[in-house]
Amino acid sequence: MTSRRQFLAGLAAASLAPIRSWSAAGAPDFLAAALFPDGLYRLAGLSQRGEILFTLPLPERGHAAAAHPELAQAVAFARRPGTFAVVVDCISGTEIARLTAPTGQHFYGHGVFSQDGRLLFTTENNFDAGEGMIGVWDVANGYARIGSFSSGGVGPHDMVLMPDGASLAIANGGIETHPDSGRTKLNLPVMQPNLTYCDLGGQILEQVELPRSLHKNSIRHLALRQDGLVAFAMQWQGSVTQHPPLLGLHRPGTQARLLSAPDAAQSTVQGYAGSVGFSQDGHSVAITCPRGDALHLFDTVTGNFTGSFTLEDVCGIGTASDGMVFTTGTGQIGRVSTAKATITAQAQCQWDNHLVPILRPTN
Amino acid sequence: MRTLATLVLLSLPVTAHAQDRGPILAEITEAHILPRFANLSESADSLASTAQADCLPGSSDLRAAYGAAFDSWVSASHLRFGPTETGDRAFALAFWPDTKGFTPKTLSRMIADADASVGDAEAFSQVSIAGRGFFALERMLYDPDFADQGQAAYRCALIQAIAADIARNADAINADWQGYAALIMHPGDGSPYRSGDEAMQEHYRALTTGLEFTADTRLGRPLGTFDRPRPNRAEARRSERSLRHVELSLAALKDLALRLSADHPEIASRLSQAFDAAANRAHALDDPTFAGAATPQSRLRIEALQQSINDIRSIVSTELGPTLGISAGFNSLDGD
Repeated sequence: MTSRRQFLAGLAAASLAPIRSWSAAGAPDFLAAALFPDGLYRLAGLSQRGEILFTLPLPERGHAAAAHPELAQAVAFARRPGTFAVVVDCISGTEIARLTAPTGQHFYGHGVFSQDGRLLFTTENNFDAGEGMIGVWDVANGYARIGSFSSGGVGPHDMVLMPDGASLAIANGGIETHPDSGRTKLNLPVMQPNLTYCDLGGQILEQVELPRSLHKNSIRHLALRQDGLVAFAMQWQGSVTQHPPLLGLHRPGTQARLLSAPDAAQSTVQGYAGSVGFSQDGHSVAITCPRGDALHLFDTVTGNFTGSFTLEDVCGIGTASDGMVFTTGTGQIGRVSTAKATITAQAQCQWDNHLVPILRPTN
Repeated sequence: MRTLATLVLLSLPVTAHAQDRGPILAEITEAHILPRFANLSESADSLASTAQADCLPGSSDLRAAYGAAFDSWVSASHLRFGPTETGDRAFALAFWPDTKGFTPKTLSRMIADADASVGDAEAFSQVSIAGRGFFALERMLYDPDFADQGQAAYRCALIQAIAADIARNADAINADWQGYAALIMHPGDGSPYRSGDEAMQEHYRALTTGLEFTADTRLGRPLGTFDRPRPNRAEARRSERSLRHVELSLAALKDLALRLSADHPEIASRLSQAFDAAANRAHALDDPTFAGAATPQSRLRIEALQQSINDIRSIVSTELGPTLGISAGFNSLDGD
């Protein structure tokens, strides 16, 4: 365990000469969790080309991770309703800290750092109250918990830091769960998902709700374009014979736009989007649909559906230098542009839900 | 719209080649679904007429009619699609779990306000689903907290209104299923199901969510954790129906599972044995409200029952699912 003094020294050193920075960990573009053939779950650092730059063991199946903006530190979250998250030094592979959710709460699998890397925010479930929470952790103080605030809804899942660095966008999925009942959804008839924007102290700035007829469309995952356009991916909890949109675009202060493929394609994805991502040029946005073995691509300006690619168990997606990169549960890594999807690497593992971007400093 | 670019990158097909699902779809619809909703409609009508004749909460006739109607609902409650889902009918029949106590709040408010909707079936159908259905009626018939709230005449009218609303809902589901039956038996043009596989997947989902609900919610909620058991959260404990619901649901889900696996006798046989093992454990439990969740010895036996249902779930997802074109992918199964 790193002492606070060592840690601060490291932090200071990093700002001068980034010896503990991501470049020392092989300059990965993404973090992704995976199940390996030996039955162990690991967190991997990935390049856009699909090279695995490092792997670090995880205690059990993870969900997403959060990457520190400067230091090569990753927080890997347990799959919900897990109560642990581990902070790993991606250079040495050692565990720096372990986050334990407070009694009565568990993690929801996602989290994000503040722009200066001093705070970590985590989505959590206060399960007896059935209320979503955001936990706040002090990075320099060994990831000590220093506070929490309401997420503005039930079942917060993904969360991103807005480009202003001063606000968070939170996907409150709306689904209430309780660890005593595993992952069973307890409140489908009364669920009310929302997209909440709040400042870093929890003051709610704006909330977006779907039309009443779509109240069973759980807002789960987010992607952010650098100009502040938020894309949200949804999972439909209503009848399988309905095929509502599973992707929305929202810019604070405006109405959300919902995007859908034509019914023939929309009806094949079983109402389930796993991840969402933007292309590098920001013109395209994609959702992955592992239950339909499909990746759906849309134009961010017109909102039009521009293509579907058949990819078995595709789920992770992220921005790459010339489009987007995706991962699949069969170990494939590939690239998508508007015209084609290409497999660029085949790893001997099963990539888990998400690709978490590492935003390297531009200096 | 621009050209639809489709690139097939699969080395293996994810679904088995097209099979004729017709016979199994017909069997499930005609022998499993339709009789269940006919029973529900009949017993719910009987509940409504019994309440009309005798609205005293302690009436043995009323309680018997309530039990019979609730039995038929639990035996059909996994079939949450098509007419059952329309307008949240299923939830209006059974709003549970009620994690935030909406049912007692809604009922108390109606009683305190002497809400006039009890005299108008149409108006009552607009009441919050938390104030309707079998769990609202259970409060009125079995919960001492509701025995003396407000006026006796209003409580009587409320009991009759809830019973009549249950019957109305049950009749509507049953009536609509007469037409919907053809749609799920004959997928394709004009049906919401595009293919036989898709219709089979609807039934499969009913099976998996039914098993999940019984293991994780009907048993998981009262079990709580070892350090903090929650027997007071058992389903329908006030009417002492908690264990009965587990047994009824296992019987209904076994019937569905065996029909779904009719083309695969080995899987059907393994499922049958697993269901029997769970039913035997349930039968031997002798703890109608899972009060034993709070004591280590009896708790173990409830946990063993839960495990035996999880054993069924494992056969369903790893053996039955793939025969129906259900992808068993790492991410598609994760559901997060």
